Amino acid sequence: MIELQNLQCEFDKRVILQDISLTIENHLSILGANGSGKSTLAKAISSLTTFSGEIRIDSQNIERLSLNEKAKLISYIPAKLEIYDSFISVEEFVLLGRFPYKLNFMDYSEKDKKIASQTLEFLKISHLRSNVVSSLSSGEQQLCLIAQALAQQSKIIIFDEPTANLDPHNSKIIAEHIKGLKEYHQVILITHDLHLASFIDSPILFIKEKSAHYYEENFFEDAILEQLYGVSFNSLAVQYD
Amino acid sequence: MIRFMVWSALLAIMLLSPFIGAVSLELSEILNVDSLTHTIFFDLRVPRVLFAFFAGLTLALSGLLFQTLFRNALMTPYTLGISSGAVLGAGIAIKLGLGTLFFGIAAISLFGFLGAMLTVFLLIYLSQFLRSSQHESLLLLGIALSLFYTSALMIIFYFGDAMQNDMLIRFTMGSLSVIGWSYPLILALIALILLLSIYFYRFELQLLSVSDSQAKLKGIDTKRVTLFLLMVSSLGIGTLVSISGPIGFVGLIVPHIVAKLYPVSVTHRIVKTALFGGFFLVVCDTLTRGLQTQSELPIGIVTALIGGPFFIYLIISKASK
Repeated sequence: MIELQNLQCEFDKRVILQDISLTIENHLSILGANGSGKSTLAKAISSLTTFSGEIRIDSQNIERLSLNEKAKLISYIPAKLEIYDSFISVEEFVLLGRFPYKLNFMDYSEKDKKIASQTLEFLKISHLRSNVVSSLSSGEQQLCLIAQALAQQSKIIIFDEPTANLDPHNSKIIAEHIKGLKEYHQVILITHDLHLASFIDSPILFIKEKSAHYYEENFFEDAILEQLYGVSFNSLAVQYD
Repeated sequence: MIRFMVWSALLAIMLLSPFIGAVSLELSEILNVDSLTHTIFFDLRVPRVLFAFFAGLTLALSGLLFQTLFRNALMTPYTLGISSGAVLGAGIAIKLGLGTLFFGIAAISLFGFLGAMLTVFLLIYLSQFLRSSQHESLLLLGIALSLFYTSALMIIFYFGDAMQNDMLIRFTMGSLSVIGWSYPLILALIALILLLSIYFYRFELQLLSVSDSQAKLKGIDTKRVTLFLLMVSSLGIGTLVSISGPIGFVGLIVPHIVAKLYPVSVTHRIVKTALFGGFFLVVCDTLTRGLQTQSELPIGIVTALIGGPFFIYLIISKASK
């Protein structure tokens, strides 16, 4: 359970999110226009940006948790992989998810390696194990990011625009994985992709004009979408299921 | 096979290096304790080879560290102006005519060291005004600092007399010439600390090479780790430059050459980069001594002459892929 109390975020002295109080019981998809503050909210929850107010996870104030404790609680999957080390292999990349569990100065343990390898099998990308991450396609890279997050074994997984760089086919693969993960993790999804949000089928938080609007259901009705986005909708075309 | 040949050649030159120089040594005389040959071999040549080795190691490792931490192929302590700071410090010492020793350390070295460290603190202070992702801006800050230092040095030149200027020019060209064992041992100790620090933090470094935010999300106190590694590396570079003067290109090209030979993640390249850097500088230094000129060619000139064309080749071959 994630509780936000009077959350306020600023960026370059501009208020992005204002006075948001909200309890996220379980899964949630966050939608909103460009620059509405969706990613800022996710970054605040994962402590990647500063905020005022309070964020509690399972009644613990996250500002009182150590970085390591936070890492075991939350993983954050960015939209696109940015990587300078152009020679890191898929296996090594997924192992990075085990970093919070690793002893200082030591190598990753056999257990860590086993978990990383199981994760690769689970996502059906074991054959890419020795490949170099930077040489993979965007879809495969997104799977590597998910594998790393799974190896991290955190309770909460935040996806930031997971399908932003993917074609419909790869979007579907990722979408199915995200939906599957809802069984074991609390999945927070940030997306512009209405098809994806509809398929994932979590309650919706729509961010508009610095504040958040919560929709338990009925979000995907044309009239509501039209009112929120200001363009007309004629039922969503692509169906993932 | 190429790897084996490269390493064997480097090792062979390293072992032969003490026998090469302006004075050719009689092999039979080396072990004769009372001979001049013995003195040249054990008090000049061997310490110099070791000094060159640890200097190359420090430069190459610092290059790898800066390039990985800042995720930029051009970042080295040199491009960030740290060595220019040392040169300016040394220049001030020479201009002030400080020939005296402070606690057994030459004034030029002490001022050079202070110049390097002040630059590091200045960069760390200034970088707080940048967002963590703005590494290009840090590079620009370093370049701006370098240019500023160079101009300040020009003023010292302008007002300096011929003898001071000659000393200064020789310092800026870099030299690995050392007498006795104290400098090689100091540098060896610092190089070892640098190598161990980077090795212990290899997985942190691997995560930082992905991105600052990913490293933070995996539980790394990125600021603390970055600061620690930068300080250790700057200590090494400051010490080195204050003794030898600036030696360019090693920190820039050696990590790239090793990455070319071993296209593997940074965790597997730390020790290889360190060794290659050490061997590389010994080879360059052997060349300066082997060329039978009137006096030794400054080391900085040799590393740049070899490094420049090689680096251009690397960039072109990378771009054409």
